[in-house]
Amino acid sequence: MTLWREGELAAALEGAGYFADEGLCTAIHLALRLGRPLLLEGEPGVGKTEVAAVLSRVTGLDLIRLQCFEGLDSGQALYEWDYPKQLLQVRMAESRGQDVGDLYREEFLLRRPLLRAVQAEHGAVLLIDEIDRADSEFEAFLLEFLGDFQITIPELGTVRAGTPPIVVLTSNRTRELHDALKRRCLYHWIAFPEPDRERAILRAAVPGLEERAAEGLVRAVQRVRRLPLLKRPGIAESVEWARGALALADGGSPWPVALRRALGLLIKDEEDTRLLLAHAEEVFDDA
Amino acid sequence: MPDPVAAGGGTRRQRDAAAALAADHLWGFLTALRGVGVPAAPTKRADLLRAIAESPPPDLTTLYWYARITLLQDVGDLPAFDRVFDAWFRQGGPAGEDPPPEGDDGEAPSPGGPGEDDPPREVRPGDGIDASTLSTYGTREFGRTGEGRHALMRTLEAAWPAVLPATPSRRRRPARSGDRLDVRHAWRRAHRHDGEIIELRRLARPPRPRRLLILVDVSGSLRLHTPDLLRVAHTALRAAPARTEVFTFGTRLTRITAALSHPHADQALRAVSGLVTDADGGTAIGAALARFLGNPRFAALARGALVIVLSDGLERGDCTPMVRATARLSRLGHRLVWWSPLACSPTYRPATRAMAAQLPSLDHLGGVRDLPTALAEVRRLPAVLSGPRHTAARRWSTLRPLGA
Repeated sequence: MTLWREGELAAALEGAGYFADEGLCTAIHLALRLGRPLLLEGEPGVGKTEVAAVLSRVTGLDLIRLQCFEGLDSGQALYEWDYPKQLLQVRMAESRGQDVGDLYREEFLLRRPLLRAVQAEHGAVLLIDEIDRADSEFEAFLLEFLGDFQITIPELGTVRAGTPPIVVLTSNRTRELHDALKRRCLYHWIAFPEPDRERAILRAAVPGLEERAAEGLVRAVQRVRRLPLLKRPGIAESVEWARGALALADGGSPWPVALRRALGLLIKDEEDTRLLLAHAEEVFDDA
Repeated sequence: MPDPVAAGGGTRRQRDAAAALAADHLWGFLTALRGVGVPAAPTKRADLLRAIAESPPPDLTTLYWYARITLLQDVGDLPAFDRVFDAWFRQGGPAGEDPPPEGDDGEAPSPGGPGEDDPPREVRPGDGIDASTLSTYGTREFGRTGEGRHALMRTLEAAWPAVLPATPSRRRRPARSGDRLDVRHAWRRAHRHDGEIIELRRLARPPRPRRLLILVDVSGSLRLHTPDLLRVAHTALRAAPARTEVFTFGTRLTRITAALSHPHADQALRAVSGLVTDADGGTAIGAALARFLGNPRFAALARGALVIVLSDGLERGDCTPMVRATARLSRLGHRLVWWSPLACSPTYRPATRAMAAQLPSLDHLGGVRDLPTALAEVRRLPAVLSGPRHTAARRWSTLRPLGA
């Protein structure tokens, strides 16, 4: 795996279609340099999960994803013994009159995402998504892995990573994570992008969008985010909005009308829609 | 330790001196951070030093990002962090800041620091729990419980577990009957019989109680009932300690789960009275509920929970914020139950503007003013939980309007 200098990293990310600001670039740079997991927090839709995907693209490493949910346990995250296979092995040995042999071998091991990441030969990008959805007890399973990139299997011993994986954790802050987990990670809060960056993202994601239209749209989105909404639109929503409006404009709607008609792609809550329509004048006046 | 910000050209000795100076400065910065309560564990500090040593930051902005990414653990600490960084690096020294040298506690996070346990901590800057503009009357003693009440509270505590709603847990556990074979368990038992499987075990998803969220109104209009309402909350917390959250609201919002969890009721109430500074003050239900919902970590506590609001619903001024907050609370939670002391009276009708407007959002509106009425309402909960949603309005509209 190559180690970029900082400037090159931003260019490489941009080449893969991700526009990271200076803070995020530094965070990724340090995560690669120090070999530490990177914990990303931020509002929904600012591109936390996408960081892992784009890292996998620019490094050429496999992306291994672990989606967290309430009730996730070590059998689903680390490893599990393949009991049916072991049982069949016993039966087979019995019918052939052979010795059963060792039943706790690697071939009877079911590798779950964390173990796969540790055993990946050339390293991998591991995404532990929405860690705040897992119960807090689950974080304890992660500590050994995040600290030393190793997993202990009582029957086999400790499995160490030959090449440490690149680990990205994301959290939506629905609950506070344990100090022990945070201490093992680098931390970065991804804020909503500033207008320039959002324009660049739109330019790359929505080909055919005129520069002036993009500018007005980004201005409108920035204003919408300042309203007291239940859910502020993220980057994904503004991209969808631009795409929708562009499709309507191609169908013959004038641009401002198209923007308003595609509003359902930006705001997905009835209460928020009403609030936005009440402020329509100031939001859309020069969009 | 080289610091390119300070280490320029010059002779070797000058460079060494500059490096020593830079190291001292960095050390002072780290100490000051600890002083303002931004905990930076030794491993995190070592990360910063490694980052600086391995790829020296070309400018101050990069140094800022290095420090922020390696040291910071919570976006809530960001303002304090920025202040300290500015004071030490952008203004050349600890201007106006007096970094109090911390004792000898090394890496131990400051008390009340993040991550002491799983739920968010009680009160912290930026949570929106700060004082509102309305007046407050300081703390209040809630009195002693007495023997008669103790007996009732024990009955209540025993009544809660049976009425709390449950969902199937996501995690399967061994059980007598279930939807999946527990091959792991069967396999382990087969070891004892030379690999012969003699009995099958199964896995089931055991019921897991839903969260119980209790919001207690402590404003002046409920003055007489507040101690008993808090005692009701205490019994719920004792019955399901891991799944219950209790907040009080008057002119501000206070999370009292930890304070109220003392096993002894009087001790718990004393702890609460020290924490709740707006008891018997003014009313701003809408604002308090909006503040609760505005904090994503609090709103997450209401998601899928049984939400019980103990309040008379007497809102001063415009009731729109309160109605909107109740509607959202109802959408977030599993059921929304409103217990009002006023509803104990047989002549009560939810006729005030606020109550009438929010009635369609409620699943049940019951009367609770003391422990016996609470016990009656708790026993009525299973019917509310098994029935359809938003039936409060229908039930109350079938009652004859007063004077008719």
